[in-house]
Amino acid sequence: MDAIRTENLTKKYALGWRRGKLLALERLNLRVHEGEVYGLLGPNGSGKSTTLKLILGLVTRTEGEAWIFDVPCDQVASRLHVGFLPENPYFYRYLTGVETLEFYGRLCGMRGAALQKRIDALLELVGLARARDRRLAGYSKGMLQRIGLAQALVHDPKLLLLDEPTAGVDPIGSRDIRDLILRLKQMGKTVLLCSHLLAQVQDVCDRIGILNLGQMILEGDVRTLIRDQRRLSFTVQNLPAEGQARVEEAVRAAGGQVIAVEHPQTTLESLFLDALRKDERGMRQHD
Amino acid sequence: MTERVGFSAGRVGTIALNTFTESVRQKVYYILLIFALVVIASASFFAQFSFSEQLKFVKDFCLGALSVFGALIAIIGTAQMLPAELENRTIYTILAKPVRRGEFLLGKYLGSVCLVAVSLLFMGLMFGAALWFKEHRLIAEALAMAESTPADELQHTLQQIRAEALDPDILKGVLLIFVKLALLAVVTLLVSTFSTSMVFNVAVTVMVFLAGHLRGVATEAWGEMLWVRALLAIVPDLSAFNVADDIILGNVIPWGHVGKVALYGLVRTVILLAAAHLIFSRREI
Ligand SMILES: Nc1ncnc2c1ncn2[C@@H]1O[C@H](COP(=O)(O)OP(=O)(O)O)[C@@H](O)[C@H]1O
Ligand SMILES: [Mg+2]
Repeated sequence: MDAIRTENLTKKYALGWRRGKLLALERLNLRVHEGEVYGLLGPNGSGKSTTLKLILGLVTRTEGEAWIFDVPCDQVASRLHVGFLPENPYFYRYLTGVETLEFYGRLCGMRGAALQKRIDALLELVGLARARDRRLAGYSKGMLQRIGLAQALVHDPKLLLLDEPTAGVDPIGSRDIRDLILRLKQMGKTVLLCSHLLAQVQDVCDRIGILNLGQMILEGDVRTLIRDQRRLSFTVQNLPAEGQARVEEAVRAAGGQVIAVEHPQTTLESLFLDALRKDERGMRQHD
Repeated sequence: MTERVGFSAGRVGTIALNTFTESVRQKVYYILLIFALVVIASASFFAQFSFSEQLKFVKDFCLGALSVFGALIAIIGTAQMLPAELENRTIYTILAKPVRRGEFLLGKYLGSVCLVAVSLLFMGLMFGAALWFKEHRLIAEALAMAESTPADELQHTLQQIRAEALDPDILKGVLLIFVKLALLAVVTLLVSTFSTSMVFNVAVTVMVFLAGHLRGVATEAWGEMLWVRALLAIVPDLSAFNVADDIILGNVIPWGHVGKVALYGLVRTVILLAAAHLIFSRREI
């Protein structure tokens, strides 16, 4: 059984009187297997959010069909085991963190002590334990994103749909979210993730699909897709200058070509995280 | 194998409670309610009328205030509900859970009806306090003039004051105002299922409110014209809920009449709710 399956899923938005229709998604055949992390990539406006909304039955489909764990997506029961984090989520400004999770928990049929225990665990998990009794009107962007994740996880769903979960979040927060996704995967959850931040997707996704103008233009296993079969790189340490010349010589002798010899660069992200880690005052305690 | 998810009163209640909490925590609501309470309280300070005129004035003024401020709270509270949900996209997080659109809409509506009920309760208590205050002032005045009036006449006056202040028909009047406001809230909800602008919602509903009260007059004046009749079929007759005149004149309002009018309101409300659901369940969000 696939966690998500779509067949020729198509969406045309009506643009209003005499302005015709906009083809946002065209004949999408998507399969997300149970237990995998699938990354749906693509530029802005390529139809990623539309895909998620169609799967959740939030917008009506023009053609095609979609199933969640084999339940047709127009049945309410299809959403029993799904958690959803919308793009740029906003919640009820006048509720506190705890009240927000109580509300969503009750909608999922949770009650009493079990719900309270779950809420405490979730607030701990997303690092909002200290902001639990503050109203959401005073939450930062990153905090809203995290309460959104907690809300999506409240009923311990088997499948998570995350729309740009790291948009507008600082590097530490976005690394936390990435770690959380990996942890969910270890717990056996299925995750469908939308993003246009490719570097982050690369680290967490098993498979990816690339959408452009509403069409899937490339799909496959991440490692296979990004491996450059014709090239090979060595990373060596403490090699003296004449050693380098001999290596290059040996490569040429064996019939290869040396394309580049350079010092590997760390990513700006790991530099950033490293600098923070070395700061004696410690890292920011999460809110 | 697939589980079925039926209609759940628990989910409706959760959404209603959330809607109510959300509204109650907004400043606009407090300002409106406090202003209404001050206005109602002020009714007992007008004293330029004669005896029974004074009590009548308090009743007339307060029932009017309950109706107008209640309508403002019902309209403003309901008009911003759906636009806010759509604009903040909180509706996505709710409907992505196993929640039916009908449950969502009904929960939202009941939440704003709760808001109206609580507001009416506070305003009603203030109305009661204003009446009580006036009653005691009048009794004190009557006793002050006790020497110049014969004993049985004084007894009669006191009895009259007490009876007029403690008129049980006032409760019937407040009950009908509540039914009227619940109907007004569903009109607002219906308008907001197809528009996205809060200003539009308020404007249309205020027009319905005014038209609903002037309906009787309009029927008499232009009842012959077809388009007027068509319009009148849509706009509910809100003046039917107004029993203030009878209360002031001291006419007894039979429960049968109250029941009939309340039933009229309830039927109208259910029909409009069904229409709102029909539009909302098809709406692209
Ligand atoms: N409610 C809507 N009405 C009209 N057009 C829409 C609506 N929602 C999205 N679109 C259009 O559909 C296309 C795909 O949008 P979306 O799925 O949000 O893209 P993405 O999430 O990949 O950035 C865009 O061109 C967008 O403008
Ligand atoms: Mg998007």
